[in-house]
Amino acid sequence: MIRINEAGLRSTVQDRGRFGHLRSGVPPAGAADPFALAAANALVGNTDDAAGIEIIGAPFRFSCDDARVVAVTGRDVSLTTRSRLPGWSSVFVRAGQVVAVNLGERTRFAYLAVSGGIATTPVLGSRASYLPAGVGAPLRSGGALPLGDTDAGAEDAAHRIEPTTYDGQARAMAGPHDGRFEADAIARFFSATFVVESASDRQGVRLGGVPIAPRPGELQSCGVVAGAVQVPRGGAPIVLLADHGTTVGYPFIATVIASDLGKVAQRMPGESLRFYRVERDEALDALRAERRALDG
Amino acid sequence: MRPRVAPFGEAALLVELGDEFQESVVGWARGIADTWESTFNFGPAVPAYASALLRFDPLRIAPAEAERLANELLARGELMAIASEPRRVIEIPTTYNGPDLVATAERSHLGVDELVAVHSGREYTAYFLGFMPGWAYCGRLDPRIVAPRHERPRERIPAGTVAVADGQTGVYPLASPGGWQLIGRTELAMFDPSAAEPVRIRAGDRVRFVPL
Repeated sequence: MIRINEAGLRSTVQDRGRFGHLRSGVPPAGAADPFALAAANALVGNTDDAAGIEIIGAPFRFSCDDARVVAVTGRDVSLTTRSRLPGWSSVFVRAGQVVAVNLGERTRFAYLAVSGGIATTPVLGSRASYLPAGVGAPLRSGGALPLGDTDAGAEDAAHRIEPTTYDGQARAMAGPHDGRFEADAIARFFSATFVVESASDRQGVRLGGVPIAPRPGELQSCGVVAGAVQVPRGGAPIVLLADHGTTVGYPFIATVIASDLGKVAQRMPGESLRFYRVERDEALDALRAERRALDG
Repeated sequence: MRPRVAPFGEAALLVELGDEFQESVVGWARGIADTWESTFNFGPAVPAYASALLRFDPLRIAPAEAERLANELLARGELMAIASEPRRVIEIPTTYNGPDLVATAERSHLGVDELVAVHSGREYTAYFLGFMPGWAYCGRLDPRIVAPRHERPRERIPAGTVAVADGQTGVYPLASPGGWQLIGRTELAMFDPSAAEPVRIRAGDRVRFVPL
């Protein structure tokens, strides 16, 4: 078991997402910063479908009933055991040893992976929490979660993965509805500096500062992916994240590439965000580079 | 618009079949989604009124190849539409007491009793599920029912609320914000994640509202 001494504000169990019931309207959920969770899992020797904990809000402290390798990733994160240890690296912790996850002022989501993975019972094929539908629940201080089996030992610690540079610059492909925007609206989208609004959450990051209006005309709802940049009638774009509704009725001016989703998700309200236009090949190169970093 | 296939990020394609609701196009979208999932087995698909989102793993199948196959599916035309299948009929016991019931009746130049009779008097088709778990877009409404979306969506609509908007009807499976006109309530659970079949209504089902 992993025992949660202090659970933060709204921490949940997440994995890479639930993609088997999209046609029933069930959102993928999963980590808002997918690469950060994937890195944490890779660091502790878990498979890429393992579940970890998405931590929102300090303080977060835990211990495990047996010895485990753990890693914390995300923006501006570190661990404290007896001493302070950097994030994005694997750490061996003894049975019962209390570990604090340290969040910085700009940490929106931190990810904790434990060797063996969080072994809660999957719901509809995934351990990802989706709180709006009561799938999973926020972790409680004093609670405990089951862990999977592991043979990882002290020799598996001290691996490191280069952290994401959370610099407020995300790459995005134009479209799929670029035809529903004037060329200058698209040009403005890819040159503007947006400001992240406080209503942002796991469903989406809301962008203020530069209104971008679509051409008039109705659009039938269509299926969507995380990273899609939706432009509602008011013209304030929303980048959809893991908890997005499965279909949306507003046009999409652009789609953030999968590798840069975390750079969007981790922006705090009031921070700036810019989008750089890339083609699909560059998005693929970024995915391959990610894969290499994870396979280390 | 001409039907087309557009990249939706590097790991999905959006097949767009039209701009307007057309009964035959709904079946076409679902046929494309079914073939993508079951014959090609590349990844999940999400059909809607006039589109199908096709997902794939771009490290397993080259996006250009996925796009070529999606275009091939599109070129088969409406032959792809799913054959009519034996359809279940789902009955939704409904108390017509929603906060927009009277206003909707007035806007439609119907008495409240007439509105209830018109809404419950036909069998709807569940065209697709989307938006939130278990939400089925059902239609078409009797054209006498005039139900534009609210300019300002409500912040919280209780689970089980029966609503209408723009020729469609549906039931909010979970408490959520929403802009539809609220005309009634049902106790029937529309989404249960612990059930083997988590959603009450499947795409293709016939749906009837039964007044209580």
